[in-house]
Amino acid sequence: MEFSELIRTGRAQAELLRGPEAPPLRGTLCVTSHHLLLSPGTEASPDLWLLLLRSVDSIEKRVAGDSGTITLRCKDLRVLQLDIEGVEATLDIARSIEALSSLESVITSFPFFYRPKGLRLGDAWHFHPPERYYQRVARETNAWRLSEVNEDFSLCPSYPRALIVPHSVDDQALARSAGFRQGGRFPVLSYHHARNGTALLRSSQPLTGPQKRRCAEDEELLRAVLVGARPGARGFIIDTRSAQAAKQARMTGGGTEAKAAYPGWKRLHRPLERGRPLQESFVRLVEACGDLEQSMDRWLSRLEGCRWLAHVKEALSTACLAAQGMEREGACILVHGAEGTDSTLLVTSLAQLILDPLSRTMDGFQELVEREWIQAGHPFQLRCAHSAFSHARPKHEAPTFLLFLDCVWQLGRQFPLSLEFGEGLLLALFEHAYASPFGSFLCNSEKERGLCEVRTRTHSLWSGLNQPKEQRKLRNPLYALNPLAIWPSVEPQSLRLWQGLFLRWTRPPEPSETAWEKVWQIVTDSEKTEGSA
Amino acid sequence: MTQSRQPVREGGRRVVAQGLGSHGVGGRAPEGAEQGPGAEQPGNAGGARNPRVSSMASASAPKCNSHTSENEPVKSTSQDGVNCDLNETVPRLPGETLITDKEVIYICPFNGPIKGRVYITNYRLYLRSLETDSTLIFDVPLGVISRIEKMGGATSRGENSYGLDITCKDMRNLRFALKQEGHSRRDMFEILTRYAFPLAHSLPLFAFLNEEKFNVDGWMVYNPVEEYRRQGLPNHQWRITFINKCYELCETYPALLVVPYRASDDDLRRVAAFRSRNRIPVLSWIHPENKMVIVRCSQPLVGMSGKRNKDDEKYLDVIRETNRQLSKLTIYDARPSVNAVANKATGGGYESDDAYHNAELFFLDIHNIHVMRESLKKVKDIVYPNVEESHWLSSLESTHWLEHIKLVLTGAIQVADKVSSGKSSVLVHCSDGWDRTAQLTSLAMLMLDSFYRSIEGFEILVQKEWISFGHKFASRIGHGDKNHADADRSPIFLQFVDCVWQMSKQFPTAFEFNERFLITILDHLYSCRFGTFLLNCESAREKQKVTERTVSLWSLINSNKEKFKNPFYTKEINRVLYPVASMRHLELWVNYYIRWNPRIKQQQPNAVEQRYMELLALRDDYIKRLEELQLANSSKVSSASTSPSSPSQMMPHVQTHF
Repeated sequence: MEFSELIRTGRAQAELLRGPEAPPLRGTLCVTSHHLLLSPGTEASPDLWLLLLRSVDSIEKRVAGDSGTITLRCKDLRVLQLDIEGVEATLDIARSIEALSSLESVITSFPFFYRPKGLRLGDAWHFHPPERYYQRVARETNAWRLSEVNEDFSLCPSYPRALIVPHSVDDQALARSAGFRQGGRFPVLSYHHARNGTALLRSSQPLTGPQKRRCAEDEELLRAVLVGARPGARGFIIDTRSAQAAKQARMTGGGTEAKAAYPGWKRLHRPLERGRPLQESFVRLVEACGDLEQSMDRWLSRLEGCRWLAHVKEALSTACLAAQGMEREGACILVHGAEGTDSTLLVTSLAQLILDPLSRTMDGFQELVEREWIQAGHPFQLRCAHSAFSHARPKHEAPTFLLFLDCVWQLGRQFPLSLEFGEGLLLALFEHAYASPFGSFLCNSEKERGLCEVRTRTHSLWSGLNQPKEQRKLRNPLYALNPLAIWPSVEPQSLRLWQGLFLRWTRPPEPSETAWEKVWQIVTDSEKTEGSA
Repeated sequence: MTQSRQPVREGGRRVVAQGLGSHGVGGRAPEGAEQGPGAEQPGNAGGARNPRVSSMASASAPKCNSHTSENEPVKSTSQDGVNCDLNETVPRLPGETLITDKEVIYICPFNGPIKGRVYITNYRLYLRSLETDSTLIFDVPLGVISRIEKMGGATSRGENSYGLDITCKDMRNLRFALKQEGHSRRDMFEILTRYAFPLAHSLPLFAFLNEEKFNVDGWMVYNPVEEYRRQGLPNHQWRITFINKCYELCETYPALLVVPYRASDDDLRRVAAFRSRNRIPVLSWIHPENKMVIVRCSQPLVGMSGKRNKDDEKYLDVIRETNRQLSKLTIYDARPSVNAVANKATGGGYESDDAYHNAELFFLDIHNIHVMRESLKKVKDIVYPNVEESHWLSSLESTHWLEHIKLVLTGAIQVADKVSSGKSSVLVHCSDGWDRTAQLTSLAMLMLDSFYRSIEGFEILVQKEWISFGHKFASRIGHGDKNHADADRSPIFLQFVDCVWQMSKQFPTAFEFNERFLITILDHLYSCRFGTFLLNCESAREKQKVTERTVSLWSLINSNKEKFKNPFYTKEINRVLYPVASMRHLELWVNYYIRWNPRIKQQQPNAVEQRYMELLALRDDYIKRLEELQLANSSKVSSASTSPSSPSQMMPHVQTHF
């Protein structure tokens, strides 16, 4: 196997330091194709310590005398220190980790080799495709249909095969509309709000260009959306760029919907941070959180300077705007930015959580992530190639998905009873999005996943998470179904730093898991006595 | 699968409650009504950005047409009263009498002017709306008022420019506009002044008129002899003395003190002469195992000339020697060292190395009452009536409030750590030993002794370290006093409660009480409905016969304990809590400081409380069953040596499951 060429050494004696809480581990260190392994001496505990090499974000080596130290900064923001005997061994191990952790090939990645006991390949892969969601929509209305026009991904390489579109628009018209939208991402249904028949759609920017081109089929598609909702319905187009940025996009062939071309639709601009500035904000925040030396008198202004909470606020308020338009105005909403694969998804998925009680259940939320992020073509492989520690120049990295998780956490904090899942699930999704033994977050689109045979050759994250033994960590013991919309407060006073994630490895003495474990005990013990009563 | 799961399947009660919570008023109904103001917004907001969006997004929380959101906290405080029927015109406590009522315009900072009728009794000021079916808009005890100002004059122009502006001690202001004709505000101003500041008008505080009856007597909660007995005192090293029975030794100390066995009453008298206001070192708490102690006092009267006092030096050595193996006694001076030095100029000072060979002194850098007062003022500036939006965190930082909290907690952690690790006994003082000293000893005791983390334990802690040891509540709060700018006022006790809240955030299962308990205590710190926080010290309270003539706040709380319980409480004996006092882990207590702003309100508080109550009920039920089972078991195997011998001893065992 090709990996063997990259592994420079067999093994070495080492001591592992895992932060102030955990005791250090001593043992034999060795590098395998996908893991860093530390096996304690025989007399010590037989437990093997294992680190997925892909989760290493940056590596730093130092040698002194006849030993060396390697500092590993992981994508889940953990910092590990390895003290290794022997200079050569240190350098060899460091080089091996460097080479193996940055392999870009998907089909040689660990998920293709991961075969855990108790799980069957192929399980849960057909758990949440758009077809399933369409079944729900079809029960609520007949204004929509499931189109397989993208069966071979020729119309839009970043969309899944099946898409939900207005009933009255045929596949030919969809093809034309796709030609008018960047990357072929024509407007599709994201969420149908059954309470008043309004719809949430998403797309990419229209390719109006400097000549202000128009596309009759694209205009017809959006008209059909309004007609399908109810006669005389209005619509809002939420553009996640500033008006100026949208205008500038015309120079490069993009643009935004002209008012005259889409009667009944009104455009609103809500600029959201994306791309490099968002990544930099993340990096600055992690740096600030990890900086234990610095005097803490300036912590609050430093936190503010990172701007992360401002991004959380903007994302939540834009999602509120979309949700409010539907719930309160009875309007249909179309969300797009430029490509329609980042902030667009952030807004549509958050708006659904606010409005739809089903998306707040354990299954519903997993389905939401699968449908609105994975299948909707958020380029996970590009965005999550590196986390906050990498020294590599960021290319396509951006923590959009993490920002989404943070917003969900804020919702959960403000509505402690309304989400069936807890912080545990959000933390797990963060970890797995950046490095995972499962295949769910591999590749950038359904098309790529098809080519790599991800569905048949790797395990789905959902089958891993939904094992009974995992459930307690992921669920919210206080959950009680709330059939209403949950409107978060987005004032800066109402938003908090997500300590459970950003201060996870320097956390307070009673970690939330301990507290939640106690709560679980109260709840389940109570249920037991209730049952026996 | 989930998708087929219908809301209907869920239990009805919970769902309804949650609906109420998330929408402020009645389920889905108001949504239609709220479409009015909301309807224009996405259109309007077309170009303009930030402020509009945020106001929209939060407008989704109850707003404008539902004033209920504002009176919610008020309702809850008035609910614990005897009359709380909202339809009744005048909710009144026994002993409360209506003085006057008047039509006014209430200038609500959040929802604009509201026409209403204001009612003033000898206890409270409250307002009913005349616009929407006489909803209660607020209900404020007069004790909360710190200042009443007239705004505008008889000739002022402009709408609602003539009226009253009332500054409250609990982080809000109330403004009323009145009709300009016929001196309409003079009456109201005079009546309010009279009853809000009764002491300036030779009237009694309402607590002395209150005729409420409770089935529990809160005055019985704290009995010093019992509390010291619980700590295992007296013992061979420490004795209880009644030398201060008539408050002759120290006017501001309690009658009963615990002092080293080897110090005679004469020694104590000589030490008293060398300590500011005679507040000699006395025991606050003793570690049950290592017998290290926390001792509190005031500063020594060293003065510019560096006076020494052999008796004081010897006395401190006697304290140190109560633990034979100890070579040094640790002294924590709560002040910044510069302040301690500066105090020499006014006759005070600190224990110098030369005079106290066997002591080690550290300064804790906690600032004085004036700094704390100004800091809280700055907090109010950024949260009321408008919350600071664009630079919230840096403005919060510039108030230094959290930094002060950090220093107080850090100090208490050091005290607790010294004692718990068995490294040393600790002596704590500041200048007079009734502000920062009380904060440090009581917080350290809360960290060390899980008993104080129960509801009654906390009441005892407050009663002991604050009330009986002469924290000057009357001066610091200014009960019934009109001098709002009095330099003696300072939020020292509030700061202590804030620290407790920070701890309860970090240890969500360690405290028997919930947030409402702490807020209720703070509300009645000002209300003057109970005698608990009145006057400055025990001797003054005795003179006024406070326990005979007033009701205790603990009567109210203990007769309805369920409301104040934390459902996640897990009783853990002997667990020492060390909170993290880093700025990263401290946060502003939004539910207290910004509670009047309907936009910032914690979402669905009703629902959460409802669910918590359910959990509490379930848990209590579970404990009862377990107890029954264990009782049945232990009676079967009563001879087994491992089983606890009596049911009362079993309780801790049962509870540690949680």
